[in-house]
Amino acid sequence: MPERGPAPRRRCGRRMAGLAWKWPRTRLPVGASALGVFVLCWLYIFPVYRLPDEKEIVQGVLLQQGKAWRRNHTAVALFRKLLEECCDPAQLFAMTKLNSPMGKNLWFDGEFLYSVTIDNATYSLFPQATPFQLPLKKCSVVGNGGILKKSGCGKQIDQADFVMRCNLPPLSSEYSKDVGSKTQLVTANPSIIQKRFQNLLWSRKAFVDSVKVYNHSYIYMPAFSMKTGTGPSLRVYYTLKDFGAKQAVLFANPNFLRDIGKFWKSKGIHAKRLSTGLFLVSAALGLCEEVTIYGFWPFSVDLHGKFISHHYYDNVLPDSGFHAMPEEFLQLWFLHKSGVLRMQLEPCEDPLIQSSA
Amino acid sequence: MGYSDPSSSRDLLGNRTLFFIFICAFAVVTLLQQILYGRNYLKRYFEFYEGPLEYNSTKCLELRHDIIEVKVLSMVKQTELFDRWKNLQMLSKIYFMDTSGIFHINQEIFKMFPKDMPYHRSQFKKCAVVGNGGILKNSGCGREIDSADFVFRCNLPPISEKYLTDVGVKTDVVTVNPSIITERFHKLEKWRKPFYNVLQVYENASVLLPAFYNTRNTDVSIRVKYVLDDFESQQAVYYFHPQYLINVSRYWLGQGVRAKRISTGLILVTAALELCEEVHLFGFWAFPMNPSGIFITHHYYDNVKPRPGFHAMPSEIFNFLHMHSKGILRVHTGTCSCC
Repeated sequence: MPERGPAPRRRCGRRMAGLAWKWPRTRLPVGASALGVFVLCWLYIFPVYRLPDEKEIVQGVLLQQGKAWRRNHTAVALFRKLLEECCDPAQLFAMTKLNSPMGKNLWFDGEFLYSVTIDNATYSLFPQATPFQLPLKKCSVVGNGGILKKSGCGKQIDQADFVMRCNLPPLSSEYSKDVGSKTQLVTANPSIIQKRFQNLLWSRKAFVDSVKVYNHSYIYMPAFSMKTGTGPSLRVYYTLKDFGAKQAVLFANPNFLRDIGKFWKSKGIHAKRLSTGLFLVSAALGLCEEVTIYGFWPFSVDLHGKFISHHYYDNVLPDSGFHAMPEEFLQLWFLHKSGVLRMQLEPCEDPLIQSSA
Repeated sequence: MGYSDPSSSRDLLGNRTLFFIFICAFAVVTLLQQILYGRNYLKRYFEFYEGPLEYNSTKCLELRHDIIEVKVLSMVKQTELFDRWKNLQMLSKIYFMDTSGIFHINQEIFKMFPKDMPYHRSQFKKCAVVGNGGILKNSGCGREIDSADFVFRCNLPPISEKYLTDVGVKTDVVTVNPSIITERFHKLEKWRKPFYNVLQVYENASVLLPAFYNTRNTDVSIRVKYVLDDFESQQAVYYFHPQYLINVSRYWLGQGVRAKRISTGLILVTAALELCEEVHLFGFWAFPMNPSGIFITHHYYDNVKPRPGFHAMPSEIFNFLHMHSKGILRVHTGTCSCC
């Protein structure tokens, strides 16, 4: 019986194949498939949403280059009000004793349904309130884009009152001309702690030495975003306290990060998670009066079509599909155009003058 | 006269009553055993105490020498004290003492080991091994301990001002049990300064760790070295060679010490017998009463009892007393009055 099974079906199949060109066997009625074809054609002619590719963005940026940029104070005030309504950066920027009392349940913003309760030991690590003199006057937010290389922007960056940097960037003397040396706030991702410092489980001196360049700055860590990030972030705190280091640790508030994420999602950024840079820029827009951003350029060519490295210190490309950098860039570019913040893309000094000096 | 329970008179020597009697008898026997055993150890102790105590009499020295030569050194000849570096250079892996696994020594771990054996045989004249027994409390032995050339201490004991007169301050080797690090210092994964501060109290003492006892201890023990390096401390860190631990354990098992795990004190005493000519034991006492029958705390600094069935403390102490009576080493149990 089982041997004879397939034979009639094959015969039947042959008959069906013969019929196929005359009358296609479909479950859908003909009208539905015609409608489907029509919709596909429509979508092809009028696409719903398509991210402009790299060249188009660069072209768009180049078009703006000639025009002088001016701060639009009403737009700045409006945007700050928007941010205050959604996220309240002044209060919620970091974990403080005020905004997270003991026994509060903290829902992690990077996990699905995971929370911790703030216990006595964790509570004691928080500062009383956000430790900045608000509002801050002039802020520079420094991304790590390769566009900063040979830009000579160091002096201009250092002129700001408050300099924010992302992900523990190197600040050695070879870069100080391009990225400056001042730091008031530097973010550190737990994944960096894990990769570069073995989660601080073994020797910790290397870490303490490597953060010495940031002098009296705050290290801003998203301790309560991912399950795996909590341990390393708290360990950073313990390490710096044990060594009596000058740096202090601030823990990011997951509620703030979640609100900022929602805010940008409503503006149309489709990513699993926002990049640290956008978090920082949003926070800066809420905390500072004047914001200038440097090194936010996620493309492989600069404005003149020259190829540049991904970061100013290396050329390690990120994992694809986690962050939506071009989308974020477009949002920031839009803010630049409307005068909310200033985005520095060209070199601050002419490279020729630099080399002669 | 009311009706009583009809079954009450029938069960006079029935199951229930018999069962009750059995329980009572068992309780009484246990109680008696406890009392007799308690008496017994004191008696045995005093028997030994009657023995020759002239530490430097030729007869005693001979006997002691014999025993060290024959017994201890026979074990020691095939092992060295802390780590066998020559072998380690060739071997890239070592086996844990409880055979729970194999540890592969990579370059980084290897760099932590000292180049040479830190101590050699019969290096010191007079050594003191300080246990943490409650018998040390109010003993006033601090000065006698400090007068020794080399002082071993077990398991990070407190040697603060409060205990100065009883336990002294001099420390040359202090052992740290990884379980202490796990419990008191969160495996050194969080704060490290408190642990460093505790070690600082022992000034230049070397830290001795049973890192390769089993797999759980290794990470924690290696972290100790990192902590001391990070804080730029001069204190040296040594690790027991697992083979040494095995041999010591085997040797004492042959001597009648039966335990799942020999205590740190016993390992240190073995090491001291090898390193020193005179070995003095202070605070080795694991009984609720001191020889004169007064109740004492378990440790000189607290009264936390150990987990039962883990170490065979009384057996080890009897062993020391036995050796004491033969003049091999000296167990101090009373108050000190010398110096």
